[in-house]
Amino acid sequence: MNVFFRELKAYQKSTFIWIASLCTLVVVFLLMFPAFTKDVEATRAIMANLPLAVRNALDISLQNFFTVYGFFAYLLTFASLAGAVQAMNIGVGIISKEDSGKTVDFLLTKPISRIKVVTNKILAAVFILLLTNLIFILVALSTAAMVSVSSFDAGLLLLIALTLLFVQLFFLAFGILLSVLIPKIKSTISVSLPVVFGFFVIGMLGAVIGNDNVRYICPFKFYDSNYIIDHSAYDIKFLIIEAVFILLAITASYVIYLRKDIRAVS
Amino acid sequence: MNLFFRELKSYRNGLIFWCLGMAVLVGSGMAKFATIQTTGQSVTDLISQFPQSIQTIFGLTGFDLTKASGYFGVLFMYIALMATVHAVLLGAGIISKEERDKTSEFLFVKPISRFRVITVKLSAGLINLIILNLATFGSSIYFIDYFSKGQSYIGDVAILMVGLLFLQLIFFFIGTMVAAVNEKPKSSASIATAILLFTFVLTFLININIKLDQLKYLTPFKYFDARDLMANGHLDSVYVTISLILIAFTIFLTYRSYDDRDLQI
Repeated sequence: MNVFFRELKAYQKSTFIWIASLCTLVVVFLLMFPAFTKDVEATRAIMANLPLAVRNALDISLQNFFTVYGFFAYLLTFASLAGAVQAMNIGVGIISKEDSGKTVDFLLTKPISRIKVVTNKILAAVFILLLTNLIFILVALSTAAMVSVSSFDAGLLLLIALTLLFVQLFFLAFGILLSVLIPKIKSTISVSLPVVFGFFVIGMLGAVIGNDNVRYICPFKFYDSNYIIDHSAYDIKFLIIEAVFILLAITASYVIYLRKDIRAVS
Repeated sequence: MNLFFRELKSYRNGLIFWCLGMAVLVGSGMAKFATIQTTGQSVTDLISQFPQSIQTIFGLTGFDLTKASGYFGVLFMYIALMATVHAVLLGAGIISKEERDKTSEFLFVKPISRFRVITVKLSAGLINLIILNLATFGSSIYFIDYFSKGQSYIGDVAILMVGLLFLQLIFFFIGTMVAAVNEKPKSSASIATAILLFTFVLTFLININIKLDQLKYLTPFKYFDARDLMANGHLDSVYVTISLILIAFTIFLTYRSYDDRDLQI
């Protein structure tokens, strides 16, 4: 358990900064919701002039976004981007920092198996992410309750908010896998940023140009907010894809790290 | 000159990876253009009357998607995002890596002044930025040409690439400035990235709330907006001036802080 608490302490400061930034983001965006509601009214007026066929087609896709859920889902794209960077940083860094910080032989000569080291580190990472999400959700729900004029379904909002955690877990697993695959990582962030932003850009681009297949490779698009709002549930297909991916990535990480030749510090 | 080639070499593989990634981004984005449904002008006109916040949230961009160059305008935001990520990481890394990798003692006992070290490193960084910019330009021309049928686009693309270069320069020097001022080499890249993320999110915030319009000077992404660039056909002189001042200021701070601070050994 020492490793577990040691990691929590090591990430203490950065976790606070991440939590504070995520909370600021959600509060700032949600404070704009009242102004947005006015724009929605204006849009409805313009839409009344559209031909009926066009209006119906547009209305179906726009309806969900005119609610607090849709607005929240929109701001969550940015929260997920930031959250993914956090998760990927932890994932890439938590094992490789022993190597880059030249502390790896100090750690591995202790009477503790590599399995235990990795397990403790992963547990610490998951704990950090859970804590981040817990606070994020509390802040998000209470702010939403303040700015929304009409009553809303907190359960549904919670479902949407939890997609942040799923995105983070995906990138955590991916980061851990990369960190045991890449022989020498000098800087965590120069590995994690291109990967996260790459996925983000693929997802955004896929949404703008309307390619549905992008959803299968882009974790940012696994949990479509339209689907969640319509069904009050996740699309089970993507939960399975994510679970399988995380399972494979973590298993592979264990297997690789346990057999990896680790160079002593010279 | 040794240092110059040393830096170019150490960033070579990464740069190839970035150029390929950029080409794939442009290529896959433009490939969709070939199959996209043309929406018809009347609906596009109506949608453009929607408040800007609504347009932003639905990803309606106000570009004429029936033209290859309009379609490329949509892509530009994402190209700019990737290029600035590259620039900011490059800038922060090229200055802070000597301290991070504990090679600064080795480097700075060589008969070469700190001023020169920074100059050489900045030049090597600039070469990297320009190569990535040219690679983006080249792949854009190639893919747009492949998918557009004899429409004119060179002017539009060229002006966007100049805007892209400005964005790259701004964020590159923000990176170097952060790394020069900040005494903890490990956190430089994170701080520089935080600035990038902040300005990126701010761009969207401004788009969804018109009251925040005055904040547009805080985010370089607003200086080189694809829609304005393509509509006007030239860069906005106010924004160019701000950019140049910003670049000059960050270069000055990079030299100034790194020249006379203690290095982490």
